[in-house]
Amino acid sequence: MPSSNGWHDRLAEWSVYAVALLISAVFLWIFGDLARGGIEHLSWSFLLDPPQNAGRGGGIGSILVSTILVLLIALVVALPLGWAAAVMLAEYVSSGSRFGYTVRNSLQILAAVPSIVFGLFGNAFFSIYLGLGFSILSGGLTLACMLLPILVSTAEAGLRALPDTYRSLAVALGMSRAATVFHVLLPAAAPALVAGLLLGIGRAMAETAALLFTSGYVDRMPGSLLDSGRTLAVHILDLSMNIPGGDVAAHASALVLIVVLLLINLLAMEMATGWQRGKIVTE
Amino acid sequence: MKLAGVAVVGTIMFAVGLVWSPSGNTAAQKLVLTGASTIAPLAGEIARRFESRHPGTRIDVQTGGSSRGINDVRNGTADIGMVSRDLKPEEKGLHAYAIALDGVGIIVHASNPVVMLHRRQLIDIYTGKIANWKEVGGVNSPITVVNKAEGRSTLELFLSYLNLKNSQIKPHVVIGDNAQGIKTVVGNRNAIGYVSIGAAAYEAEHGTPIKLLPLDGVAATVANVRSGTFPLSRPLNLVTRVFPEGLARKFIEFARSPEAHDLVEAQYFVPISIR
Repeated sequence: MPSSNGWHDRLAEWSVYAVALLISAVFLWIFGDLARGGIEHLSWSFLLDPPQNAGRGGGIGSILVSTILVLLIALVVALPLGWAAAVMLAEYVSSGSRFGYTVRNSLQILAAVPSIVFGLFGNAFFSIYLGLGFSILSGGLTLACMLLPILVSTAEAGLRALPDTYRSLAVALGMSRAATVFHVLLPAAAPALVAGLLLGIGRAMAETAALLFTSGYVDRMPGSLLDSGRTLAVHILDLSMNIPGGDVAAHASALVLIVVLLLINLLAMEMATGWQRGKIVTE
Repeated sequence: MKLAGVAVVGTIMFAVGLVWSPSGNTAAQKLVLTGASTIAPLAGEIARRFESRHPGTRIDVQTGGSSRGINDVRNGTADIGMVSRDLKPEEKGLHAYAIALDGVGIIVHASNPVVMLHRRQLIDIYTGKIANWKEVGGVNSPITVVNKAEGRSTLELFLSYLNLKNSQIKPHVVIGDNAQGIKTVVGNRNAIGYVSIGAAAYEAEHGTPIKLLPLDGVAATVANVRSGTFPLSRPLNLVTRVFPEGLARKFIEFARSPEAHDLVEAQYFVPISIR
C-alpha cells in the first residue's frame, strides 16, 4: 500500500513539474523568438522616434504615447464603474435577486462578445453617433466597454470570497456600510481586484480589431485625445501582415509590448500589496 | 507605492493637459482618408510629407479595405477613399484619381520546380480540378490553394482575370493582407497564392524563398507593370464623392506629382505621371 502510494505520488509530482516546465517553455520560446528577431533593432531612438517609411524605419515613440493614452482612458473610465458595480452586486444586492441576476447575465454575455463586435459598436456609437471620429478617446471608451465584464466579475468573486466575519466585525465596531467597503472589504479583496485589472490590461494592450476602427491607424504623435492614434498591437499587426520588410520592426515592437506588460504587472502588484498593507495590517 | 501613485496621477494630468492644451494639433484644415490596406501605408507617407510642406494641415489615414473606403466617402465619414482597383459600374458617380499602379503575381515556394502555368491550368488549380503538382510538371504532392478573403481587391482582380466566381474556387487557406500571403507560401512548399508584385519582388530580393510565376508568358516584374504589358495590374485610386476642392484637391495633386514618386517606389508600387 505505501509503496504503490509513493509511486503514484511521484508520478503526479513529475507530471505537475513537466506541465509547469512546458508552460514556461512556451513563454521562453515566444520571448526568445522575439528577442532573436528584434533585439538588434532596439535602441533609445527606436523607443523615442516616430515611425518612418511605413514603420520599417524610425521608431515607435508616437505609438507608445498613443497606446498609453488609450489604456489610461479605458482604465480611468472602466475601473470606477466596474468596481462600483462589483460592490453593488456583492454587497448591496442579495445573490438570488432578479436584478442581480439580470446584471450578472448581461455582463457574462458581454464578456463572451468577440472584440470585433465592440469595434463595430465603438465605431458606430462613439466615432459616428457621438461625433468623436477616429480618436484616442473613442478607442479608450470602446476598450472600457470591453474591460467592464472582466473587472466586474473578478472583483465580485473576490468580494464574495471574503469571510462574513469581516462584515460582522465592521458592524460591531459601528462602521458605516460605505466605510466598511472602502476601508475593509476592498483592501482585503485587493489581490482579486488586481488580478482582474491585469487581465483587463492584457486584453486592452493586445487589442487590434476593436481599435482599428475606433482609435485608428494614424502614426503621428497625438496632439490631443481627439486625434487618431495607432496603438502598439495595431502597429505590430500592420508591420507583420501588411508591410513587406516590416518583420524586424514588428519583432522589436512586440518585444517592447511584452516588456511594457511585465512592468505594468509588477507595478500593479506592488500597488496592491502596498494598499492592502496600509489598510489591513497594522504595523 | 507612493511613487507609483504619483506616477499614475502625473500621467493622468499629462493626458488631461493634452486635451486642453492650446498648442494641440487643432489645425483648421483636416482631411480623413479611409480604405484599402494596400494603399494605407503609402498614403500615410505621402500625408507626412504633405503636412511638412503645408504647415497647419492634418491628413489622417485610416485603413479597412477598399469597400470601406467607398462606403465612408459616400456617407461622408471620410473626405477621400482609398480604393485599390478600378471603380465598378455602380460606383461610377464617384471621382477616382490613380496615384500608382500595382501588379498581382502568382507566387509559389522557391523550391517548387514549376516555372510557369497556363491560364487554363491556373483555373483548374483554383477550382480543384488539378489537385497535385505532378499534373502540371511538378513533384508528386498535393497543391495547397491560397485564396484572398472576400472584399479584397486582389481577389476581385484575380477572379475577373480567370473569369471565375469566388464560389467556384476551392481554397485551402484564406488570407487577408499581402505579407500574410507571402508568409503562408513560405511556410508551405506546396502552396500557391497571389499577392502584390511589389511586395513579392521585395521579399524575393531579400532572400525569402518564394518565386513569382509569369502570366501569359509575361514575367511578373515591376518593369512589366510599368510598361503595361503585365496582364494582371490595377490602379491604386484616391476617390472622392464630389469633384475635389481645396485641401482634398491639393492633396490629390500632390500625391500624383513627381514630388511623391520616390515614396510610391519606396512602397514597391509604380508611380503614375500626370499627362
